[in-house]
Amino acid sequence: MTATAIADAAGFCALLEDELGIRLAPEDLDRPLDEVAEWDSVHLLRLVTVVENVTGRRVPVADLLEAVTFQQMYEVVRA
Amino acid sequence: MTTITTNTPSAGGSWQDPEVLRTLRDLYAAGRLEAEYPSVRPLLARLPERQLPAAGQLLARLDRDDVVRHHADVPVVTVAVTGQSTVAPLVAPLTAELARHGLLLDPVVSPYGSYLADLLGPGGAEPDRRPTLTLCLLDAHTVFEEVPLPWRVEDVEAAARSRLALISRAVRAHQDGGRGPLVLNTVPLLHRHARQLVDLRSRARLGIVWREFNSGLLALAEEHPGLIVVDLDPLVAQGTPAYEPRTGLYAKARLAEGLLASYARDVGHLVTGLLGRTRKCLVLDLDGTLWGGVLGEDGVDGVELGSGFRGEAFAEFQRVVAQLGSQGVLLAVSSKNDDAKVREALREHPSMLLREEDFVRVNANWSAKHDNLRDIAERVGIGLDSFVFVDDSTFECGLVREQLPQVAVVHVDEEPALHPAALLADGWFDLPVLTDEDRERAARYRTEARRQEFREDTGSYQDYLDGLGIEVTVRPPEPAELSRVSQLTLRTNQFHLAPERLQLPQVREWAERPDRGVLVVRARDRFGDHGLVGAVFWRRDAEDLHIDNYVLSCRVFSRGIESACLAAVLEHAAASGAHGALARHRPTPRNAAFASFYIDHGFVPTGVAPEDPATVVFRHALRDITPAPAHLRLHTAFEEN
Repeated sequence: MTATAIADAAGFCALLEDELGIRLAPEDLDRPLDEVAEWDSVHLLRLVTVVENVTGRRVPVADLLEAVTFQQMYEVVRA
Repeated sequence: MTTITTNTPSAGGSWQDPEVLRTLRDLYAAGRLEAEYPSVRPLLARLPERQLPAAGQLLARLDRDDVVRHHADVPVVTVAVTGQSTVAPLVAPLTAELARHGLLLDPVVSPYGSYLADLLGPGGAEPDRRPTLTLCLLDAHTVFEEVPLPWRVEDVEAAARSRLALISRAVRAHQDGGRGPLVLNTVPLLHRHARQLVDLRSRARLGIVWREFNSGLLALAEEHPGLIVVDLDPLVAQGTPAYEPRTGLYAKARLAEGLLASYARDVGHLVTGLLGRTRKCLVLDLDGTLWGGVLGEDGVDGVELGSGFRGEAFAEFQRVVAQLGSQGVLLAVSSKNDDAKVREALREHPSMLLREEDFVRVNANWSAKHDNLRDIAERVGIGLDSFVFVDDSTFECGLVREQLPQVAVVHVDEEPALHPAALLADGWFDLPVLTDEDRERAARYRTEARRQEFREDTGSYQDYLDGLGIEVTVRPPEPAELSRVSQLTLRTNQFHLAPERLQLPQVREWAERPDRGVLVVRARDRFGDHGLVGAVFWRRDAEDLHIDNYVLSCRVFSRGIESACLAAVLEHAAASGAHGALARHRPTPRNAAFASFYIDHGFVPTGVAPEDPATVVFRHALRDITPAPAHLRLHTAFEEN
């Protein structure tokens, strides 16, 4: 996994599947998180570690916690 | 399971396999990880350590019911997780650690901050989800929650005292409620707290106060046999941060991910210990493992041991191995070497800390190591699932792992200074309480070898029994013997007639209740003491004596001991006015050989137990009691002193 792994939304989805076992279709990106049965806020903590390992950049955790869709999450970690 | 190919690493190849995670991901994506669950354990044994968290995330998503549907024999371990902070992040690493032991985690996670209510409350878990153990995670906030602002050390001291008293009460309530083993942890003193005190005198005082709190927690375990306190200090000293400020603040997850992972590893071993699955035997390679160089080429005087930088490191590793050996871990050698040369090195090398007599077996030959491990298991009389194998060769490690997946394999590399850390990275030999039987295990196995020689030199089996001079004592247990009784119920599978796995507090409760009791069986012969080898759990009502469970260690089978003890119990029942004796057998795959034990001793089957139709009940009318075999001497005492 390299820093380019989350260069696009597809890479982010692949990361979610590989690291958290959450498989998303492209249309799931904009669904509210509380409608996604596989999602639990505890996964977010793991996601922070994974993304920081992959990108070498610090993730703004508070912003990530406020995201209500995967798309918003992706935008936070991509920034 | 044909899709999972196990690659044997070639000599000099990588010990861990980065492709394992891909295999797990593919199985998960295909929806087949549940059906393939038995392959998870060997896969995890090859997984690079850094990938274990990702594996944990996948495994935590498994459908447990589906795993059990496919594999009814996979042990499911229900663990209640509560704590001061958000404890859900423990679930994935704990799932992975239990999977490493072939177990399946069923977590019951409490909401944030509910630990006191959980421990003090009635414990309303449904009967089939009664936890095997409860983890209560404490963190620095456990104390600092009560500290005002601004604060002085005295405030922390007062908060720590009040919290300790509260936790102490909660532990008592939990333990008195008979709710199973409970695990607390010590709380690392955080940098961010110590540094808020600017004067060094106060900071030192904070160190004292904090450690008193932790000492108080650790001391609680001395009051409550069902309480285990995991000390987080050694885990933090390994270099993992105790606290991550962002997840601590934003998510109230106040124990950092890495520390939770280390803690989960300890808990994994703790669970195997509670289940009586602790490993017993450490099998070591020699060249490159216990000493440097190659004995066959360098000679006894030429191997690196005791002097020089690397020689000192190998000596240090031997000290660690000897220390484990002193606590009942059986040591053995499997080495590709000439036997005579190895014996010479073990006897003659001036810096060998481990000598020939420290090993229950020394297998030095040119056969495959997995064949040698099988040989050692057979001769010592313990299962391969009790083995830990250490070798510096990736080839040998890989082959053993492939041929004998039940053996835990520890790969040490070319840096001997790191051998102790590699061996101790896992608590393979952790157990809740070390009993006298554990400490004397190695001596016992050596005695057993002498007994074998005697057997081979004696004519008939009856001559052998007559010559052994067996003495058996049946009596109520001393308090210090109760943990051994618990261990017998946990570990014994064959002569365990109505298996019930009892932790120490449950044994104690049984022993102390009126109209109930435990009798322990001790045995010795002319070669030595077998120690405490059996237990009878009895109950008395107005009419009859009930033998609810009878357990005997396999190391004293076929010597008439089981018959002698039963005869003694029946004679005592008759003498004390009981009309009959009722006994039970609950069949399991492992105790089938003893299904007719009671019938063979004059009992007749009367039906099944009302609360469990799988349990067969037998009755003896206490007439014509089969006498104890004449080749042994029996000492009995049924009343407590």
